[in-house]
Amino acid sequence: MVREVAESCVESLLTEIVSQYCNGFYANKPDLAARRIEAIGYQVGHQLSERYTMERPRFSDHLEAIKFICKDFWSELFKKQIDNLKTNHRGTFVLQDNKFRWLSRVSVAPSSENTGSIQDPSAMAESKEAQATGMYLYFPCGIIRGALSNLGIPCAVSADISNLPACSFVIRIKA
Amino acid sequence: MIVCVAVVGHQNNPLYIQSFTEADDALKLHHIVHCSLDVVDERVNNPKRSGPTLNETFLGLLYPTENYKVYGYLTNTKVKFILVTTDLDVRDADVRNFFRRFHSAYVDAVSNPFHVPGKKITSRTFAERVSGIVKSFGLSSAG
Amino acid sequence: MADPANSPLGRMLLDEITPVVMVIRTDLVEEACQKNNLSLIEMLKPFCAFNNIDVPVRTASDQPYRIQKFKLRLFYASEIRQPNIEVAKERLKQVITNAGEKGISDLCTEPPRIETVLTTTQSELLPSWFPFFNKELVHTVSFSDHEAFDHPVACLLVVSSKDEEPINKFVDLFNTDQLPSLLNDGTMDPKIMKYYLLLHDNQDGMSEKATKILSHMRNTFGSNDCGLMCINSSQDGLVEHQENPWTLDKTESSPGQHLGCFLNDDDMDELKIAMQDLSSKHIIPHMEQKIRFLNQQVSVTRRGFRNQIKNLWWRKGKEDTPDNPNGPMYTFSSIESQIRVLGDYAFMLRDYELALSNYRLLSTDYKLDKSWNRYAGVQEMMGLTYFLLDQSRKDAEYCMENAFNTYLKIGLSGQRNATRCGLWWVEMLKARDQFKEAAAVYLRISGEEPLHSAVMLEQASYCYLFAKPPMLRKYGFHLVLSGDLYKKCDQMKHAIRTYRGALTVFKGTKWSHIRDHVHFHIGKWYAFLGMSDVAVKHIMEVLACGHQSKATQELFLRDFFEIVQKTGKTFEVLKLQLPVIDMPSLKVVFEDHRTYASSEAVSVKESLWRSLEEEMVPSLSAIRSNWLESQPKLALKKYKESNVCVAGEAIKVEIGFKNPLQIPISVASVSLICEHSLRSDETEADANSLTTENQNDDRFRNLDSSGWCSHDNCRECSSEKSSFTVSEVDISLGGGQTLLAQLTVTPQLEGALKIVGVRWKLSGSVAGFCTFATEMVKKKVQKKRGKTKRQMVDNLEFIVIKALPKLEGFIRHMPSAVYEGDLRRLDLVLKNPSEISVKNMKMKISHPRFLIIGNREVMDIEFPACLERKTKSAWSDAHANDTHDDRVFIFPEDALVYGETPFIWPLWLRAATHGNISLYLTLYYEMGDASTVMKYRLLRMHYNLEVLPSLDVSFLLRPSPLQLHEFLLQMDVINRTSSKTFQIQQLSSFGNNWEISLLQPLDAIFPSELLLAGQALSCFFKLKNARKSAITEVEDSVVGPSEGSDVSLRRGCNEPLFDIYRPPLVGFHHYERMDQGTSNQENPNTVDLILISLQSRSEGNPEQRDSPNFFSHHSCHCRQDSFFTFTFASTSPIWWLVEGPRTIQHNFSTSFCEIKLKMTIHNSSNEVSSIRIDTSDSTSSSNATTSVPSGNEEGWHDLSVLNDVKATSVVKSASQECISPFIWSGASSTQIKLEPTSTTEIPLQICVFSPGTYDLSNYVLHWTLLPSDDQGAGTRQSSGTCQGHPYYLTVLQSS
Repeated sequence: MVREVAESCVESLLTEIVSQYCNGFYANKPDLAARRIEAIGYQVGHQLSERYTMERPRFSDHLEAIKFICKDFWSELFKKQIDNLKTNHRGTFVLQDNKFRWLSRVSVAPSSENTGSIQDPSAMAESKEAQATGMYLYFPCGIIRGALSNLGIPCAVSADISNLPACSFVIRIKA
Repeated sequence: MIVCVAVVGHQNNPLYIQSFTEADDALKLHHIVHCSLDVVDERVNNPKRSGPTLNETFLGLLYPTENYKVYGYLTNTKVKFILVTTDLDVRDADVRNFFRRFHSAYVDAVSNPFHVPGKKITSRTFAERVSGIVKSFGLSSAG
Repeated sequence: MADPANSPLGRMLLDEITPVVMVIRTDLVEEACQKNNLSLIEMLKPFCAFNNIDVPVRTASDQPYRIQKFKLRLFYASEIRQPNIEVAKERLKQVITNAGEKGISDLCTEPPRIETVLTTTQSELLPSWFPFFNKELVHTVSFSDHEAFDHPVACLLVVSSKDEEPINKFVDLFNTDQLPSLLNDGTMDPKIMKYYLLLHDNQDGMSEKATKILSHMRNTFGSNDCGLMCINSSQDGLVEHQENPWTLDKTESSPGQHLGCFLNDDDMDELKIAMQDLSSKHIIPHMEQKIRFLNQQVSVTRRGFRNQIKNLWWRKGKEDTPDNPNGPMYTFSSIESQIRVLGDYAFMLRDYELALSNYRLLSTDYKLDKSWNRYAGVQEMMGLTYFLLDQSRKDAEYCMENAFNTYLKIGLSGQRNATRCGLWWVEMLKARDQFKEAAAVYLRISGEEPLHSAVMLEQASYCYLFAKPPMLRKYGFHLVLSGDLYKKCDQMKHAIRTYRGALTVFKGTKWSHIRDHVHFHIGKWYAFLGMSDVAVKHIMEVLACGHQSKATQELFLRDFFEIVQKTGKTFEVLKLQLPVIDMPSLKVVFEDHRTYASSEAVSVKESLWRSLEEEMVPSLSAIRSNWLESQPKLALKKYKESNVCVAGEAIKVEIGFKNPLQIPISVASVSLICEHSLRSDETEADANSLTTENQNDDRFRNLDSSGWCSHDNCRECSSEKSSFTVSEVDISLGGGQTLLAQLTVTPQLEGALKIVGVRWKLSGSVAGFCTFATEMVKKKVQKKRGKTKRQMVDNLEFIVIKALPKLEGFIRHMPSAVYEGDLRRLDLVLKNPSEISVKNMKMKISHPRFLIIGNREVMDIEFPACLERKTKSAWSDAHANDTHDDRVFIFPEDALVYGETPFIWPLWLRAATHGNISLYLTLYYEMGDASTVMKYRLLRMHYNLEVLPSLDVSFLLRPSPLQLHEFLLQMDVINRTSSKTFQIQQLSSFGNNWEISLLQPLDAIFPSELLLAGQALSCFFKLKNARKSAITEVEDSVVGPSEGSDVSLRRGCNEPLFDIYRPPLVGFHHYERMDQGTSNQENPNTVDLILISLQSRSEGNPEQRDSPNFFSHHSCHCRQDSFFTFTFASTSPIWWLVEGPRTIQHNFSTSFCEIKLKMTIHNSSNEVSSIRIDTSDSTSSSNATTSVPSGNEEGWHDLSVLNDVKATSVVKSASQECISPFIWSGASSTQIKLEPTSTTEIPLQICVFSPGTYDLSNYVLHWTLLPSDDQGAGTRQSSGTCQGHPYYLTVLQSS
């Protein structure tokens, strides 16, 4: 059986989660809020990976698993694949999505837009919009981490926004 | 007939084990399932088994005990499904089919937000669904 | 891989498959040997194994080779036959039992962890007796006729020099009748090589005689087949051998005798030499030349193509012979036997190629002959040779398997051979690290016989363990299986050993079903062996088995208790899992400055108390500082992190006990474990507390290690000092039940008290305890959830301060349920057990509407008599009264509470409204002497009161149509109770500006004074505004004489009325006003009414005391104009009254009827007002009437209903003859001016056309206040509109 949920529902849910945790529960502790959101994502990813890896041979190595995340998993979630996958062959993978669906509706004030371009990400980092936007990325990070760790790959996932709505997830596999 | 089915977590901890016999042989079945894990490990970690069967989720006949046949299935998430049956001529297709349905039942069970990953599966729905699958085992091929 | 000869199997083979020497000796020989407590063979045995006998051997091939290891097996002729099976079995059993006895020692130790098991090497993990057992097993099939290597190669004839004519002895010894059957039945060649040995005992004088005999022998039997051996050279028999060679073999040697005591070194050398040249000079050469001879034979008959064919034909010829299970009989002369002998000899001389070729040759023959037994034997040998040649292990295993299966195929006879073959096969596999296969083989040779298969299964399990990667689960499983088998043949110790092994596998895992089973059985078996301590420890593991079935749980528990009872003593168990301690439920209640009168007072939220007490208590910080300066010794932090409690006052601890099982359990003598350390001086205190900490730290540690410790040495830890006393409670838990246990500890001395944990006794035999400290982590987590109770729980350390007075208080005869309006006096009773008095008592009550504090006078007057009116009290004192209360009630200074005499103070209870109400009282008091740490304390009381509905009273007020300034008061009383009967006493209006009187005689409306249950009563009163009595005209239709604000509703009016201006009534009324009052400003136009009734004493219900219950119902702010609110402003200055006839007879046939009416208008305001009266015609009147019911007034409603009926009828008639029933005649609008506080009259007139009853309210009054120059428009409204009052006129047709 296939249960489907309107995309808009998911997006508004995510928005609500973020706002609730950042402004509601942990208004003054952003890092704590981030951790909670990430944890939610973790559980989601954990369960989704269980579902989406049905009917598929086991992955022989990490790369296969990551590829699965990039291709099938991502397209199950976002109806598109990861656009670009890079790795340093030492357990770090960078997944780039040029139009990340959950950021497509986010708009950043032009001022921070041009500061937030690639040439100085530092300015971007401290700008408030970036932080607000970053909040929306803990959830997908959690999803990725949950999925991978359920596939037996313990890892740490972080995300950074190069320029909206593109963003890239960095997976560091714990050796 | 199927005497026992089990779900075993990735740390080889029993998540769900259900026997379908009247006899009081739960202990024995537990042992059988438990031992079958050894074979699963062997199958998976054995480098010389190669080719397409290497990474297939369906592990086939694990080992025949004196009067049981034990089949295994290993998901991508290192969750094992064990099937213990008494009938001697089991069609591979049936077993595969069984495991496929069992797996989907399991997936739905663990997708329950109230299910704690790594804990025993207590959902009654799951139990009913599994027993349904068990009842219909082999019938699919017959009819 | 290493040299196969050095593998275990190799060594085993070199040990087992070696030439056999048949020994025949005379009794004297044996005698001589027995001096050393050794038989002949035992004496010789150590010298028959040569590690490097360096002998050149030349077999079939021409180039010689040397063999190093060589061994002879000596057997007496009598022993050379197939052993009796039963005996063999007994032997094996014996072996196992002995092994068990040896193993008993390490059963007491903790089973090793699985990691350690994995790292230990085979040799130290495997029980040492396995090889020995296997050897014995192999021996059970020795001397079978189809295997030549067990056939004696030579015969050793030994005769003592003391025998007379030894030569003949030699001859007689070797006579056929006592020779083993092998030689007689022609299985082997009776012409066996013989060696004649003369044994001389040096203790029988010098050896000339011996040498003489020897030479004689040489002549007789040939020079080199004879030998002389002298023993017992040492005379005293005190020879001590360092490394005594015999001890290895003679295991069962009793310590007293020591072996070989008469054999000195020369003898030893002699023995050695004798055996050496026996083997090297005689046996080996003999075998060599026999090999060569046989080989030559075989090659003649069998080698080469021709022979092959011939042989084939020949066998084909024999085809038709019926094949008996072990094939045709082969005599030693038959070529097959010869080949076999050849092969075996070659094997024994390590010429494996030769052996192999012959075996190959032979196996085909036997196969063709279908003599399976022999075929299997040969296959077996082939396998071994392949192994020893270390080539093509596949062939080796194939052969072994083949042999094995063939043996099995033969059936029972082949069974034991199969076993031996299997053992060898297993060894072969082990030598090649194929442990899994080895295990499989073990399983195959574990036959039906339980003991046997037990051992085999155990060995199999170890194979699984040593497999790469180790298969731990199978290891565990097979250990369990073998354990069960051991148990079946009551080899308890082995059973335990195996189960312990299994335990190491299952310990960590979540496979509780299996683990419980293992634990439980180990426990039982230990108990069976009488090692109860370990037994208890194991069964303890499975006690809290909620997941098991009910039956299993019962079984576990029953056996557990049986075992414990068997031990006779009670065990102390740290963290006994039965019952489960529900840590989150831990709740500590202690009283510092806050004391509680009852437990429900405790459960009230702290914040609620705080809010109640805030005016009474000095601020908390001030208190702390007070303590500190009063007690400088105690550091601030001490108070910060630990609670304060008072010596002699109990600390209550609530903790939940959960029964995980489905069966009830009884938990007895639950009590707290506490530590008390005197804190007289700071440093000393720390040291002291430290020591206490330590001592019971390590107490717990050793509990951890041993799991239990005997009863007595733990008793002292609970109540070592009399510095505190703990309570003990017994609880019994049903299946799956959770109970909260109420425990208390009462410190007796000042100092520091620490609640360490809780102890209990499970059904009288097992005492468990658990420490709270271990659970602290958990609690922190919950504290994060921010529960206020937690903080109290978090630290279980208390500072005990010296005893203080503590008031105990309760309210005497506080009812749990009362009826609404019930007013009664209660007594607040305070006790102060201690000597020190308390002062400055203050009290506050949460709901003064229900409960107010009386004053002392009322104490002695009985109630309700105290309320009866003496003189008409003034309005003023009512005012005076209602200024008091509401704030804290301060007890008079002389109210001291001490000693046993209870201090009693009156309280008034009045059930204001029905429903459940919880009342909070808190009493503040200060210590009599200032030296105490605490300045003040609080006594908190809490009562729940249920108020049932009784009389439900509602009042309606409406202006009387007859009089200005007069109102009709309708009182509806309904008795809502189910059984009670009320006696209406009186109705009083509060305040002096209203006079109330009955409208009708009492008995007319209220024949019986009693209002029965469910009965309703409504009666009318006249309410007169006493202030406005300036303008009154009195035509009195009233019967009830009583003028004034009270009216009695009793028949006998002689009884005095109740005075509503006395406390507590006035007090309660004050709160009622505040409660009901919407706007509290004194509005002269509102009236407060109080209905007083008694619950008649007619029925004898228990809670009724001698004085009848007094009820008062207050309804405040009844407003005369309240039902006009929808038409005009609350307070209109204009009153008017329409006067005129009510009923008129008129003959309509003649003409219509004209009626004159008079309207009297009064302007109550003190400004000039202009008034306009607009009359409207009847159509509007009809809807005016219909519009009336839309008003929210009951009084209107039921009146206008009957009116409606008429009206509609009227309207109908009107519709058919479409003229209105009446019209206002005269001016449709009149405008007048009215001076302040003046009255005027206006004539009105209507014309009626048809009989009927008409409501002449269809006119409107517009009024406007014309502000006079001296004052502007005040707050009051300056203009308004009024609907006309109802005025009913009935016109009848007169005949």
